[in-house]
Order: sequence, then structure tokens, then C-alpha cells
Amino acid sequence: MNNYFLTGMISILMLSVFGQTQKIEFEEFTLDNGLNVILHEDKTTPIVAVTILYHVGSKNEQADRTGFAHFFEHLLFEGSQNIERGEFDKYVERNGGTLNANTSQDRTFYYEIFTSNNLELGLWLESERLLHAKVENIGIETQREVVKEEKRQRVDNQPYGTFMEEAFKRLYKEHPYNWVPIGSMEHLDAAQEEDYVKFYQTFYVPANATLSIAGDIDIKEAKALINKYFSSIPKGQAINLYRDFIMMDEAAFQTKYEISKSIFNQENFFATTSKEGKAAIKKYENTPTIIPRPTAKEPALQKETVDVIYDNIQLPGVFMAYHSPAQNTKDAYALEMLNSLLAGGSSSRMNKNIVEKKELAVAAFSFNFPLEDPGMALVAGIASKDVTVEELQNALDEEIVRVQTELVTKEEFQKVKNQFENNFYSSNSSVAGIAESLANNHVYYGDANLINDQLKMYENITREDLMAVAKKYFKKDARVILHYLPKDSAE
Amino acid sequence: MNKYIIIITVAFSATSAFGQLDRTNAPKPGAAPEINIAEPEVFELDNGLKVILSSNHRQPKVSFNLVFTSDPSIEGEKAGLSNLVGELVLGGTTDRSKDQIDNEKDFIGATLAAGSNSIFMSCLTKHMDKGLDLMLDVLHNANFPQEEFDRVKKQTESGLLSAKTDPNSMASNAVTKSVFPNHPLGEVMTEASLKNISREDIVAYYKARFIPAGTYLVIVGDIKLEKAKELANKHFASWEGGVPYEASYNSGYFPENNRVIFVEKPGAVQSVINIAFPMDIKPGHEDIIKLSVMNKLFGGGGFGTRLMQNLREDKAWTYGAYSSTNIEREGAWFSAAGSFRNEVTDSAIYEFLLEFENITKELVTDEELELNKASMAGSFARSLESPRTIANFALSIYRNNLPSDYYQTYLKKLAAVTKEDVLAVAKKYITPKNLNIIVVGNEEVVEKIARFDADGVIVRLDEFGNPASMKTYKETSMDKNEVLNNYFMAVTGQKKLAKAEKALVKITSMEQIMSVKPQGAPIELTMTTYFEAPNKRSTSIEVMGMVAQKEVFDGEKGGSKTMNQSGGHDISELSPEEMDEKKIMNTLLPEMGLMSGKVEYTLLGIDELNEKEYYVIEYTIGQSTTKAYYNTDNFMKEMSETLEVTEEGPQNVTAKYSDYKAVKGISFPHKISQMVGSAVLDATVKEINLNVKIDPKKFEL
Repeated sequence: MNNYFLTGMISILMLSVFGQTQKIEFEEFTLDNGLNVILHEDKTTPIVAVTILYHVGSKNEQADRTGFAHFFEHLLFEGSQNIERGEFDKYVERNGGTLNANTSQDRTFYYEIFTSNNLELGLWLESERLLHAKVENIGIETQREVVKEEKRQRVDNQPYGTFMEEAFKRLYKEHPYNWVPIGSMEHLDAAQEEDYVKFYQTFYVPANATLSIAGDIDIKEAKALINKYFSSIPKGQAINLYRDFIMMDEAAFQTKYEISKSIFNQENFFATTSKEGKAAIKKYENTPTIIPRPTAKEPALQKETVDVIYDNIQLPGVFMAYHSPAQNTKDAYALEMLNSLLAGGSSSRMNKNIVEKKELAVAAFSFNFPLEDPGMALVAGIASKDVTVEELQNALDEEIVRVQTELVTKEEFQKVKNQFENNFYSSNSSVAGIAESLANNHVYYGDANLINDQLKMYENITREDLMAVAKKYFKKDARVILHYLPKDSAE
Repeated sequence: MNKYIIIITVAFSATSAFGQLDRTNAPKPGAAPEINIAEPEVFELDNGLKVILSSNHRQPKVSFNLVFTSDPSIEGEKAGLSNLVGELVLGGTTDRSKDQIDNEKDFIGATLAAGSNSIFMSCLTKHMDKGLDLMLDVLHNANFPQEEFDRVKKQTESGLLSAKTDPNSMASNAVTKSVFPNHPLGEVMTEASLKNISREDIVAYYKARFIPAGTYLVIVGDIKLEKAKELANKHFASWEGGVPYEASYNSGYFPENNRVIFVEKPGAVQSVINIAFPMDIKPGHEDIIKLSVMNKLFGGGGFGTRLMQNLREDKAWTYGAYSSTNIEREGAWFSAAGSFRNEVTDSAIYEFLLEFENITKELVTDEELELNKASMAGSFARSLESPRTIANFALSIYRNNLPSDYYQTYLKKLAAVTKEDVLAVAKKYITPKNLNIIVVGNEEVVEKIARFDADGVIVRLDEFGNPASMKTYKETSMDKNEVLNNYFMAVTGQKKLAKAEKALVKITSMEQIMSVKPQGAPIELTMTTYFEAPNKRSTSIEVMGMVAQKEVFDGEKGGSKTMNQSGGHDISELSPEEMDEKKIMNTLLPEMGLMSGKVEYTLLGIDELNEKEYYVIEYTIGQSTTKAYYNTDNFMKEMSETLEVTEEGPQNVTAKYSDYKAVKGISFPHKISQMVGSAVLDATVKEINLNVKIDPKKFEL
């Protein structure tokens, strides 16, 4: 196996319309340039989801250039070498499709969904984005303004909208989870075109991407098309040699590479026949791209920090944040079940006791941010009218102490297990969702097949595990508490 | 799949790497796939209940939805009754308390929901029996406990409060009330109508409408026909009785000419414009697909529509402008809407009207027709992924008597829509001279929008869409100066004005220290005020010894500083206008500033609040308007309300003054409770010292 490296190969079962619920079958392989590909065939509806996940999120940013990963999510709709500015989404709409993207601390995810006859169009669009997107000032200027509007609307103008930013910056001092994907507008203003180009060249390379396609496809045909659009994307640093070749003038190119642009085919870089040209390409193909990943380990919190945040809100809120385990650990599964016990569904402890019985809160939450490295667990509530933050906090703490000191009853534990079983079977209802789950599982857990196996992880958790994680993570002397108060009360 | 194929692809990829692939042009899509819409199973039980089944085994889940088909009725003084039914049906049964229902539902990870005409349950297939048991209990035995009724009513009441401040709810209330008078679609719940609803009303509604006759049971998911038949017969066939309520209604109100309807939102910086009119069309009508194409390209979503291109992309007057067609069994209407800055409110209405004219006069372009048809076809195809869509299609076919292939042929009909069709439906349904032009916004825009009303008389509605009554005050023979003079005499305890004035002028300086507690917050603030005649003033607020906020004016200039989150202070200086205001109004009592003759003020009359009567004086300074309330018995000021327009929108501040105590003969309120939005600050005076020496530095930042 040279060019194709198969990491997983599963025979395709015939899909029977009236058969038992199917396991999600998929094929997975890696192209020579490092692009990971996952294909899932489901012909129930003649639509296809073309998705690509780049393993870059805000945690890969420099501390003085935050917001870059999310900014790229915007910038990469601006166009490419062959797609005029503003045309990217028109190709999709004109063909009856829909598209979007999102960014987390760990990854950036793009997708298109359309009728299955547009598979090739989707692959072309994504190959343009990967190979030679336009990373230049005009697009940067436009998207900077759009991102600022987005921050105003979704963070600043949203009641309690800053809690994530405020909590993470107090929980993490060493690790880049210190900041959140929306990042700093000042950093975006300060950044120069070359900063953006460098980011693109570092993280937008095939070896850092997973192409996941689900829906009405013919696997063989899909492979041929993927091969057509993606196999010729250069591996290693050769992709950046090409990008610089089209973007840089001769002098800049010479300075960087110590060779002249003239040794390459001027019309079509990929049709270069000169000996030196081919040698240069070869050399850079063999220079791997190193993707910087944060290695910082955050020391445990040593005390309880309480801060007050004044916001445009009507009702005070209490947000209690703790360090949580990384998502691919047994502790993470146990903690998720604990969250469900506390706040999942109308019969959950916090809803029954704090919201309905004591009427201390209009809503109460307990959840984890599922992140690749240890992240955040949050227990929170929005106070009812005339309830103080102390009263609410005491009630939340009471529930936490209870799970730390009393073993959950068998019946209540079974309820939580049943809820997870229901969630598991509810999660893969669309081809777009399946494509995304497969890609996430591959990237974060190194196992796309977790889409079929994840339930087992929860089945292995015991009641004792729940109590253990409650003690281990919900520590009173190692947490950050934010009291959100109406801005008016500060006057 | 075998190795052989892989090797071939490998060889192919080796030759094509760095090959001659032409990336310059987008690949053309292949032949459009055939869109097959699965046929649901439909069968009827002996009691007449129709069952629609859409099987889908992708997930081991199943859902049951009971849909009751009584027509809505006019609720009148109990408007909103049906909105409460859904939540209350789940509030307890003769066998189970609400807690038990919640617990048992969560135990199997099920969803149980209800609306005014439906009960829905979904769960894993293996818990189907248990899920159905809960659903049936709620269906047959709901007993509406009084305490749940009270809790839900209380919760709904606070929901109505927020509707009062939301301009979009206000606009939508005005639309439904204006387009559908005396019609179930035109009813809006108010605080008064909520009060009129009793538990017995809810019980009666449930008994009359949650009945088998005319009802559909829609089953979706991992269940086969035989099992569905077995369960439906077992659980629903013996359920009998009832007659669905039937009624027919008018098809909405067409104004004879364009009319402007205004809803005031004090202090608004944006106007919500919503132009709406009824359409005489029923679900299933052959024009519907053509009409939806017309709406899509007019303003039905996306950036490429006419409204978006004109009002956002070209004029940049709005973040978004949209149109919609709403075609329901009870009635149909068209609406086009957006939010616009005050200054461009009239220009925006002009552009809306122009777009209405254009779409009814000229053929649309080929490009916009094709783009929008393609986009609609794609979204139809994507919607088919959900088995629920298939079931809803079947339900719609039955409820609206559509031909059985209505949805099967949807794409074909869509593809056949021409430019001429679009023009024809636009001419038929859009009546650019019979529009309801609804504007929710600031009083200042009224004058400019009157020209769009055919007879120039604007209709005014309140936040719930009812005729607005202007606030009225009782007349009084007292004159505005007399009120203030009496107030001065009251606070100084003098019987003669001259003596009162003398007493006030004697006060040359003041130091006041107050303790301030925000309700609901665990903190106590200290607010210190210094005053030196005639108009030097400084106010600072300290939290735990740190200055959180300070505002000063030294007679000539001034400014403020506010602590920011990094612990430093943001400083801002007073504008020239603000300095002019301070010079006049920074007197010991603001009323002394009013008497200076430099500020306009009026006596609105007498208002009654909490069984007490007050003289109400109103004055406007800069961006803020204040109403001050003086007790008619003793002329003491007991309340003031200030509406201030800030950069962040309008803000209401209400202050209540009580516990008047004399300091050197002058009465000062020692308790002040201030409400800003929903936040309440309680202030208590700790000390007031008059005619003390004040360090000039106190008036510096």
C-alpha cells in the first residue's frame, strides 16, 4: 500500500428498509497527503452531506492572536483561486443546497448539504477551500466587521453571554483554554495579512483535515471523485510552496525558498516538468507540516474564587465552574451521567428541588464542555425574582453535597442510564449529524466506530463512579464562582 | 469491496497527482435524483379515529401524536385560554401527580408534550408500552390540580410582562388584531383576559375537545404496520364520544384604503414596520406553490430577495427585512416586515410600497426565478430526510382534502412555475392599496408616517393590539407654580412662600451619606453626596472602600468615572449640553432649578395611584423626561418617574421617597427606593449635614 493507506475497511451490508435498526457502517481511509476520509452510505433520502473538519480551534492560537480559528471560519467563505468573492455560497444556493460552519476550542467544521447529484460540486468547493483559499486584505477587512457584529449580537448583547469567557479565563492560566473561540477584537485588529497567511499555511493542510461524507452516495464513485479533487493536493510543505508560488512575487519567493519561481510551470504549477522544479516539489513534499498542539498542563485550582459580573440582565445568576476531565476518559462519561442526574429533564434533582419546589431559580443547569483537553464543568442557576445569589448558591451546593455523600439510588441511576440510551439512539437522525459524529470520533477518540460503541462506555459506569467524580471534580476549594447581577444595581 | 479496486484507485491516483485536473470551473451537477416520497400507511379504527403510520427503522424510536380537529372558537374576554391547556394537561392525573409523571417519563427517557390540540409522546421502541401508558393516562385522566393551575397562571403573567417591552410581540399583536377582527386568529391574551380564565374553563375545553371523533393518531418511527394496528386497536378503538366543534369564520379584514396603525413604544430608537393584509385562499389551493415562489423571491429568506437587496444590501437601513405567506385553515395573510432606525422609518415604508407595486406590475427576471426555485426544491428534498415530514404530508392531505399525489408532484409543479405565473398570483393576492401599515416605535415618527394613511387619521393600538387609551389626568384649578410653591412651603414647614424661599437659600452646603442595598445582591454600597450652592455637586458610590462610580460638577465643568472590570476607572467628561443642564438643575432641590425660568415644565393634572391623589409635574431636560408626583394633601413629593434615552435604549427609573425627617428645619426623605428596569435599590439616609465646610477637592474627579 503506497498511496492509499487503509485504516479501516468494513464491508457494506445491504440496507434493508424493514430490517432491524442499523449499525452505522462506514469506510475510512487516508490519502497519501494525509487527508483522512470517512464515507457512510445511506440511500434513504437522495441527499448528501459533504463535511470537512480541520483539527484547529482556539486552543491552537497564540495568546496575542486570539480569535483566529473562528475568524478563519468566516474568511474561508470569501472565495478561492477559482471562486470569486461572494460566490461560494451562491454555488450552493443555486443548486438547492445549504451550508454553514462552526468553530470550537478544538476544531473548525464546515459542511454543505444538497441533493446527491451535487456531490462533485461539494468536493470541488471544499478542495478549493483547502488548496488555495483567498487569504487577503479585502476579505479580512470585511469579515472583521462581520465578526464584531457577531460578538455584539451573540456575546455582549446576550444575557449572561459572557459567562463562558469569564469562567474559562479564571479556570485556565497556563492552558490556552484561557480564551474562548470568539477571541479578542483587538487581536484581530492588530493582526496583519501575514499573520493570517501563516495561520492558513500551518493549519489548513490535508494532514490536519478529515473529510466526512454521508448520504446517498455510491462508495466507489465517491472515492473516484475524492481522488480527483483531493489526491492532487500536495502533501507536506509542498502545498505551501504552491500557495506561495501563486501569492508571492519573485523576490519574496526567492527570499523564502532560495529558488526562482521560473523553475515551475508558470501556467500550471502542477504540470511542472523541469528537473529542478520537480526536485523542489519533491523536497517540500517530504518536509512534513508540524501542527503545533498545546502541551501546557493546567495546575489544579488551589482555592475558591468569587467574582461579580454586572450584565444587562433582569435576574441574578450563579455560575460555578470546575476543572473537568478531558472528554475521552472514563471520568468524563461518569461526570456526564452525574450532570444528567442533577439537571437532565423535568424530574432531575435540581429542577424538582430548586426550580419547582423551593422556587429559588427559574432554571438550573449542570453540564460539561466536551473538550479534547481537560475543560470545564459548570453548575449554574438563574435566580427567581427576589432571590439572592447566596440563597441560590446554597441550594446548588446542597445538591452537590448530596451526590458527594449519598450513593444514588439504583432506581434513579437506572433512569439516568435510560436517558443516555435514549440520547444515543436519537443522535444519528440526519446524514449531516452522522458525518459530523464520525469525524469527531475519529479526531478526538481515534476511533470513528465509537458512533456505534459509545453506549457501552456509559453502561460500564457504576453508581460509585458517580459519587467518585462528584468528589473529585466538584471541589468547594477549587472552583470559580461568578455572580451575575443586573447592571443597574451597580449604580 | 476488495483489494483489487483499491489497487486500481491507487494507480489512478498516482498518475493524476500533480496532473492536469482543471479546477477553474465548478463541476456541473449530475441528473437530479428522483425524489420518492414514501407512502405512509393509513387505516381507520371502528370509532372513526384515523391512524397515519410512517415507518422508519433508522433509529429504534417511535412517536405517537394525537391531533384533535375541533375548529378554534372565539375566546373573547378569556382570550388566550387555549394557550394554557397544553401545559396544564401535563399537570397531574387522578393516578399520578406531576412529579410522578415527570419521573416516569424521564425514567424511560421519553418526551411527553401537549398543546391546545394535541398530545405527543416519543420514546425508544422498547419502552413503547410504558410511554403509551403515560400518554393515555394524561389523555383520559388529567385532573388539573388547582395549585398547578395557579403556578402556570403566575408564570404566564410574568411572560406577558416581557411581551410589553418586546416591539416584535407588540407588532405581531397589532397585526393579528388588525387583520382578523372577530376571528380566532385575531385574539391576544392580556393581563385582564388571563385573570378571567378559571380552572373550570380549562377543564371544559379539555372535555369538549380532547375527544376521539375526528381525531388523527400519527405514528412515526420504528414500528411495523401489524404492531401499529394492534396497539391502536387496543388503546384507542374503545375510546368513544364527542363531536368536534365546527365553526367558520370570515377571511379577514381588507381596509378600503391603506391605513397606518401605530403602537407607541416610549424611547424606541428603532421602528418595527409590519405591512400585512389577509389573502382569500385555503390550504391546498392550486395557487399556493406559485404564491410561495413569489414570496420566496420577494422576501422569503436568504440575502438574494428583493426586500433584502433593497433595504439591507443597497440602503443599509436594516439588519434584515422579510416577507411571509401564512395559509391556515382558519385564514390566510401576507406580511412583510423589518426593524428600521427612527430616521428612515418613513423612507423604508416608501420602499416597501414600491416593492409591492413592482411585484404586481412587472415580470420577475429569469435569474431570480431560477435561483429561488432551485433553493426551494433543495430545501423540499432535504426536509424529506425526517420521517415526520412524510407523516405531516399525509396529515395535511387528509385534513385539507388535497389530492393524494399533492406532495408526490410538488417538485414537478414547482419546476413548472413561470414568470407569468408569479406576476399573476402577485396581481391576484397583493393589493397595494389595501394595506395595514403597522409601525411600533417612538412617538416622534408618527408625524412622518401619517402621509401613508389614505385619510390621514392614524389608528393607535396598545401593546396587546387593543385601541390605545391616552393616559388622562383629572383637571385641577391649581396652577403649576402654585404646586411647586406649596412644595417649598411643605419641605420648609413655612406657611409663607417668602419665608420658605429664605429658608432654602440659607442652605449653602450639604453632605449626605446613604447606605444603598440592591435587592437580591449580597452587597451594600455607600453613596455620598456633596452640594455647595448654587450648583456644585458631587456623588460617589463606594463598594467595600473602593470608588465604583463618581460624578462631579464644580459649577463650570465636570465628569464621571466608573470602575471597569480590570479594576481601573473609565473616565468621561460632561458634554457642553450636560454642563448647561447641571448649571440649572444642580440646585439643592431640582424644583428650585425649575423655578429659574430656564426650563419648561407643565402640570399634567391630578393622577390617582394606590388610592392617593398626586399633582403631576412633567419636565424634559436633554434626553430625559421626568414626572414628579406631589401628594395633594400635603404637597410632599412621593415619587418621580424618569424616562431616559441612553445609547443602550430607553431606560425607566422610578424613585419613591418616604420617611421625611427634618434636618435644620428642612424635610428630607430618609428612605429612597429606586427601580431601574426590574432592579430595585433601597437607600437609607445615614447622615445629612447642612452648612458644613466642604473641601473643594470633593468636586474634582
